[in-house]
Amino acid sequence: MSLEQFLLAKGISAEKILEIEYIKAVVPQKEEGPSLHDDWVSAVDGSNPGFILTGSYDCLGRVWKNTGSCTHILEGHSGALSSIRIINSDGMTDVTVATASKDRTARLWKFDAEEVINHPKKIQAFKILRGHKASVQSIAPKTSGDMVWLFLLNCIFIDVCSGSWDCTINLWRTNKSNAEGDQVSIKKRKVNNQADESQLEAHGAQSSFSKAEAVSTLVGHTQCVSSVVWPEHETIYSASWDHSVRRWDVETGKDLSDIFCGKVLHCIDVGGEGSALIAAGGSDPILRIWDPRKPGTSAPVFQFSSHSSWISACKWHNKSSFHLISASYDGKVMLWDLRTAWPLAVIDSHKDKVLSADWWRGDSIVSGGADSKLCISSGIYIHFQGKSEIIDLHMEEG
Amino acid sequence: MREGKKGSTGASSLKKKEKLKKTKTNQNHNEEDNNTIITKKKNTKKTAKKVQFEKQEEEPLQKKKQQQQQLPTTDSQSESGSESDYEDFSEDDVSEDYELLRQSEDGESESSGEEVHGNHSDSGNDDYHGLEDHSNSSESHQGVEESDSSEDEVVPRNTVGDVPLEWYKDEKHIGYDISGQKITIKERQDKLASFLASVDDSKNWRKIYDEYNDEEIELTKEETKLICRLLKGKAPHAEFDPYPDYVDWFKHDDALHPLSNAPEPKRRFIPSTWESKKVVQYVRGIRKGLIKLDEPKEEEQRFYLLWGDDSSAAEQANRLSYIPAPKPKLPGHEESYNPSLEYIPTQEEINSYQLMYDEDRPKFIPKRFTSFRSIPAYENAVKDSFERCMDLYLCPRVRKKRINIDPESLKPKLPSQKDLKPYPATCYLEYKGHKGAVMTISTDASGQWIASGSTDGTVRIWEIESGRCLRIWEIGEAVQYVAWNPVHELPLLAVSAGQDVLILNSGFGNQEDQRKVKELLHVQTPTALDDSDNMASIVSWHQDDKHDGIRLKHFKTVTSVEWHRRGDYLSTVMPADILLFLSKKLSHRIPFKLHGLPVSSVFHPTRSVFFISTKKNIRVYDLVKQKLIKKLETGLREVSSVAIHPAGDNLIVGSREGKLCWFDMDLSSKPYRVLKCHPKDITNVAFHRSYPLFASSSDDCTAYVFHGMVYSDLNQNPLIVPLEILRGHKTSNGRGVLDCKFHPRQPWLFTAGADSVIRLYCH
Repeated sequence: MSLEQFLLAKGISAEKILEIEYIKAVVPQKEEGPSLHDDWVSAVDGSNPGFILTGSYDCLGRVWKNTGSCTHILEGHSGALSSIRIINSDGMTDVTVATASKDRTARLWKFDAEEVINHPKKIQAFKILRGHKASVQSIAPKTSGDMVWLFLLNCIFIDVCSGSWDCTINLWRTNKSNAEGDQVSIKKRKVNNQADESQLEAHGAQSSFSKAEAVSTLVGHTQCVSSVVWPEHETIYSASWDHSVRRWDVETGKDLSDIFCGKVLHCIDVGGEGSALIAAGGSDPILRIWDPRKPGTSAPVFQFSSHSSWISACKWHNKSSFHLISASYDGKVMLWDLRTAWPLAVIDSHKDKVLSADWWRGDSIVSGGADSKLCISSGIYIHFQGKSEIIDLHMEEG
Repeated sequence: MREGKKGSTGASSLKKKEKLKKTKTNQNHNEEDNNTIITKKKNTKKTAKKVQFEKQEEEPLQKKKQQQQQLPTTDSQSESGSESDYEDFSEDDVSEDYELLRQSEDGESESSGEEVHGNHSDSGNDDYHGLEDHSNSSESHQGVEESDSSEDEVVPRNTVGDVPLEWYKDEKHIGYDISGQKITIKERQDKLASFLASVDDSKNWRKIYDEYNDEEIELTKEETKLICRLLKGKAPHAEFDPYPDYVDWFKHDDALHPLSNAPEPKRRFIPSTWESKKVVQYVRGIRKGLIKLDEPKEEEQRFYLLWGDDSSAAEQANRLSYIPAPKPKLPGHEESYNPSLEYIPTQEEINSYQLMYDEDRPKFIPKRFTSFRSIPAYENAVKDSFERCMDLYLCPRVRKKRINIDPESLKPKLPSQKDLKPYPATCYLEYKGHKGAVMTISTDASGQWIASGSTDGTVRIWEIESGRCLRIWEIGEAVQYVAWNPVHELPLLAVSAGQDVLILNSGFGNQEDQRKVKELLHVQTPTALDDSDNMASIVSWHQDDKHDGIRLKHFKTVTSVEWHRRGDYLSTVMPADILLFLSKKLSHRIPFKLHGLPVSSVFHPTRSVFFISTKKNIRVYDLVKQKLIKKLETGLREVSSVAIHPAGDNLIVGSREGKLCWFDMDLSSKPYRVLKCHPKDITNVAFHRSYPLFASSSDDCTAYVFHGMVYSDLNQNPLIVPLEILRGHKTSNGRGVLDCKFHPRQPWLFTAGADSVIRLYCH
């Protein structure tokens, strides 16, 4: 709607001085060529500015440096990957990655992203986390807020939580201090330790399952836990097919609060203002954002409904408290500003369902979809200072 | 002197009255006599002439008296001879009284005489006189009243007086007569003899024994009559008039010579203070509620026509009631001879009238005339008035019963769709990949996968959340039916294609499950067929190496496969018969004889009950007792599908004519509701496992979603509300939606279309 139409529609005289508050639409500067996969790209992670991680339905995880150059292939899963996350994002040399797969396992990987190779290097997992009874839908590492505590223990623990179709969230803790020596898989449950010999043979070492550290299992969801995030040391947020978002206390294993939304939820992310807003999308075209600090209500504070199909992924910008992206099965990735009801940018580069999306380097959006492509839209400059420009507009008659 | 005698007898009777109780028998006589005597007395007071005349008159009266007196005397005469003495005595006694009475009477007559002459008038005196008159008359009444009775009176022999008779109990006498002689007791008959005598004597019931006089009295007929009348509370004599007309002897207002000329006393015009006080008292009492006035009782109609039609009376009244004829329309401007131009129809309008029906055509077309002279005669005048008359006389008029009912209120009150959320409404996901019409779909127990079978000969498993096809089996034949095993630990898939039923390993589940499944799916080559020879021809079990499963070979095309809830049993439906397999032990049998070709079968969700639908009916079998429990009559032409409510008491049946029947099995064997919504065949019906939803899919490319609430309260009937029509499938080869299944946990509906697409409708 143009300004003239707007004035006519509202019956405002053109002589008047209008104060117009506007937010500039953001247009990606550059669409980089898609990185082609063999199968659907179900998971992406762009939290390390040096590379992009993707997980695919061909049971492989990939590491991409820029577009089109795959450096590492994470091999070993027997089912489609559902989630992939970088555990420590501080450097390039010693990268640890966690993947969740529909083969009911989660795996931990380690590689050096720095090394220069012209041929994709295949990497095996150094830990296999078994224990879920159904396919693992989501995995989330603990955001390393308290490194001091970790160093005091003189070894670095990897804390991971994962949500699954068996309605539980498992918390895993492994130490990676001597990962090179003997491959130690620590798992919460010591079931079926004999069934995965083939996996372990690939590592060439006998696993000792005696050190299993049962951190805990968070039971409470009644249906598939589709997404988990671990933004704070103590708290885990999870979204589930039972229409609820739950906040868990890690120490006690109890859920602190529930938010019911009425729809199946597929993705959740916590961020925004004070890293407290919960964004979640699910089996309807509405992206909902809750503020758990607001007492007495479980109604979402924001609802964005420009999508036309299920929302598969949502991600907050890690610096701005207003911006987030959402990916949907309608093939679009949308960039949202909390202050407007309309998307700032619509990235329509996918031909099919978009299954995952993430920020990369703060100004790019990476997304993977059912068209087996990883799309990178870069040059998105957003004003995350939160200052919208106000201009005065004086319209002449005629 | 007769008069005097009369008076003396009256006075004597007064005395006698004190002495002894007399029977009232004579009272009436007395009263009657009273009147005559009074008249007589008055007359004496008036004029000498009259007195003389009176005397002449009196004679017959006296005669009458004596006749009457004879009645009691006849009784008494027989008693004793001393009676005459007594009479004498009494006469003397009474005569003195009479003298006294006479004196007072004379005084009176004097004064009254004065009044009559009207010599002087004294108001106070007059007043006194009025009263005197009355009292006097009443006195004389009494006197005269008693006078006759003395003669009637039975004089008692005994003179002991009113003493207890016990005193003479031991004596031989009962008292003394008037002359002082002892009255001895009569000899008594013994009781038996007296009783016998009494029995013989027909008059016995009239006899009374007088203890006092020791004699038996027989009542005469007149006496008994008197007694009867007394018992009834009437005056003893029939002739007595208790309410005689008042004879105003002393009327003075309109008399020419009034007895008293005194003016009306003042007090007659002053309202009585005592009365007003009494009224005030009552008023206070009523106000305080001390005195309660009886409310008039509402008279209830005690009887009424219980089964009568209420309307009939009203109707009858209506029929008889006069309904005035409608008034003829008053002439308006258009009927003027020179109406305004706007009333004149244009030529076009006149032409359009021609096209109208005769009834709708306007009767009168306005025309303009310049003057009165040019107005022609109205050619329809006679016809119009005739018709009006006909209308007035012959047109039957019936009062129209207007029913003021809002048509909206007649609609059944259904809850609004908003309140019945969630239910599937919009399609978000499509599962594409099949190359032929998708015949059948089935969801896995966890709700993560869906299996589909198509006419292209493939069975596919899809991931629900992403729409990804995970696995494909090439069966080679058009797949009729797929069914997931409802048990979580047995991820098996039963597929019917052609004459075979394949049990496939879906490959999901953990290692332990897989091992179990593999064990289960292993069949020793046909050895189990020994025990049942006739069945061997129907079904044979084979290991299917290509698909790593079991192949059950039937001799006819299998149309559907159903699993039992425990996952141990499955039933397959062939056009010929139904077979039950125990998949674990690989045994099989034909349990029931059916009348008609089976179409579909369902296991009861909780009990060991099995439903088989033939084309017309649905049979309910108990699997444990192996007998028919119930037969549900659908009333449909051809049943196509059956689904059972998860609680197990309600059943929906879809038919080829597009009708959907809801059976409440506690209610009856007839459908509780029949929903006619699809214009074409219903291909499948489905219940949701947890939400109160059911759906039907049809060849008209739509699926209907209904709210079907079954209450745990048995008194409440199920609530059925149509919710949504799901569209989106395209028709192909005349077929539309071929199957519909609910997601086991979400209010989502999957529909399989002939356009080789599976759609997911979400809430």
